[in-house]
Amino acid sequence: MVPCIQAKDITLTFKPKNRDPVAALKSLTLDVSQGEFVSIVGPSGCGKSTFLNILLGLLKPDTGEMRLNGKQITGPGQERAMVFQEFGLLPWRTVLANIELGLELKGIQPSVRRERAMELIKMAGLIGFENHYPHELSGGMKQRVGLARALATDPEVLLMDEPFAALDAQTRDLMQAELLQIWDRAKKTVIFVTHSIEEAAYLSDRVVVISARPGRTKDIIKIHLPRPRDYEMRLSPEFNEIKAGIWSTLKEELITKRAGDGV
Amino acid sequence: MGFKEKYYEYQRPILGMVSVVGLVILWELVFTYLIPLNPFFFTKPSLIAVAFREQIFGGSLWSDLVISSKAFIWGFSLAIIVGIPIGAVMGWRRRVEYTLDPFLTALYASPLVALAPLLIVVLGVGLVPKVFLVFLLAVFPFIFNTAAGVRATDRLLINVVRSFGGREKDLYLKVIFPSTLPYIVAGARIAIGRGIVGILVGEFYAASEGIGFAISRFGDTYMLPEMFSAILVLMIVAVALTEGLRKLEVVLAPWRVGQEAR
Repeated sequence: MVPCIQAKDITLTFKPKNRDPVAALKSLTLDVSQGEFVSIVGPSGCGKSTFLNILLGLLKPDTGEMRLNGKQITGPGQERAMVFQEFGLLPWRTVLANIELGLELKGIQPSVRRERAMELIKMAGLIGFENHYPHELSGGMKQRVGLARALATDPEVLLMDEPFAALDAQTRDLMQAELLQIWDRAKKTVIFVTHSIEEAAYLSDRVVVISARPGRTKDIIKIHLPRPRDYEMRLSPEFNEIKAGIWSTLKEELITKRAGDGV
Repeated sequence: MGFKEKYYEYQRPILGMVSVVGLVILWELVFTYLIPLNPFFFTKPSLIAVAFREQIFGGSLWSDLVISSKAFIWGFSLAIIVGIPIGAVMGWRRRVEYTLDPFLTALYASPLVALAPLLIVVLGVGLVPKVFLVFLLAVFPFIFNTAAGVRATDRLLINVVRSFGGREKDLYLKVIFPSTLPYIVAGARIAIGRGIVGILVGEFYAASEGIGFAISRFGDTYMLPEMFSAILVLMIVAVALTEGLRKLEVVLAPWRVGQEAR
């Protein structure tokens, strides 16, 4: 079977004008199968977000191939949707209109997209907030809208760029649990970028550790925890072992990065 | 609710009224009891009120207002039509901004009303030079504010719309325009004041009708109450326009209301 996502030898160097080029990714290779939940961790600036943006089709790699279901990615497409760290909600649109954005750009007629958006409002626990503007919502609510918006077009692949990083710890735990439920029901392929080892271990089937800049696949760790997962698992010794394993791989990269930064 | 709570709720309008009414009364009292009024050089509210009434019910005030409004509306509309696209391109293309900025900044900063005599020589007397003067003064706030708004557009939101398959057209309509709209409205508020100055100066120099002409004629002939009543009309119009714009902003950009309050 062809993997859902195939990243092969992805290399990308940013060349800003009047500044030194920055090698963001170097020969990054990764296969993700259909319905898998894969987290990406790595030191900051290692090109995690760049990788997502290539997958999303907003950036093109210098060399290498990014394939989705065997087809080369050339630009944004309806099979993929991103949940952004800073939410990326349009402030002039109500919750409902924000969720409808993708459907609207797809050219779906208003009555149909309204119906679909209402389903997602229900699913995301946003009933009663349809006509609120983003500035009236808490961080957790905003990200629910972001998630609902990404799911509205029913994409095959959900890309999440540190989606819960801007939330407080409790909201974060809650959102993680909700995400797992949604993922379990909707059976999407998820690529989840995060800084948190704990989050990565708790949510994922596999955790990919990316090296310090320029980013490569340093290690891939399979998480053998049973599903469905619950919060109590995070307190088990087994879970701590997993975390320690990821941490030991990541630590070397953090040290490399620190040396590189001259801190 | 007690009297005190009620007062705190309406403190702002109450104090505003008190200060305006108080000043008018003070003005009236000073020239009635303290200083003998020399009607050539000064006037007082009661005389202005009488003149205002006469102007409204018999004078040429309405027709003057129509004449001036016509020039204002033409010039202001032109400023919108020309200013917003120029500003948009300046905000979007850095090279255009670098090229145009020196001229526009110099023109914006300089007292363009100084060009009024020249405009009248070139364009003659009547509607055209007035429209042009209003346009010239009102166009800059539109240009600069539109450019600032476009520049301030959140890149993230552009990427969001692109990631959902949005095309160039969608970026303009769904992100750049709505994000710039509040800036344009703020520009319009500045432009209104400048446009009114344009009307006045245009009509001071060469005109045979219009509010500006009325003010200058009444001033020249020492008809101070009439002159002040014309100024009063102008004041009311300016306040009404500015307030109307604030209301329009609430309608056009409801998401801003809550943000500003924070």
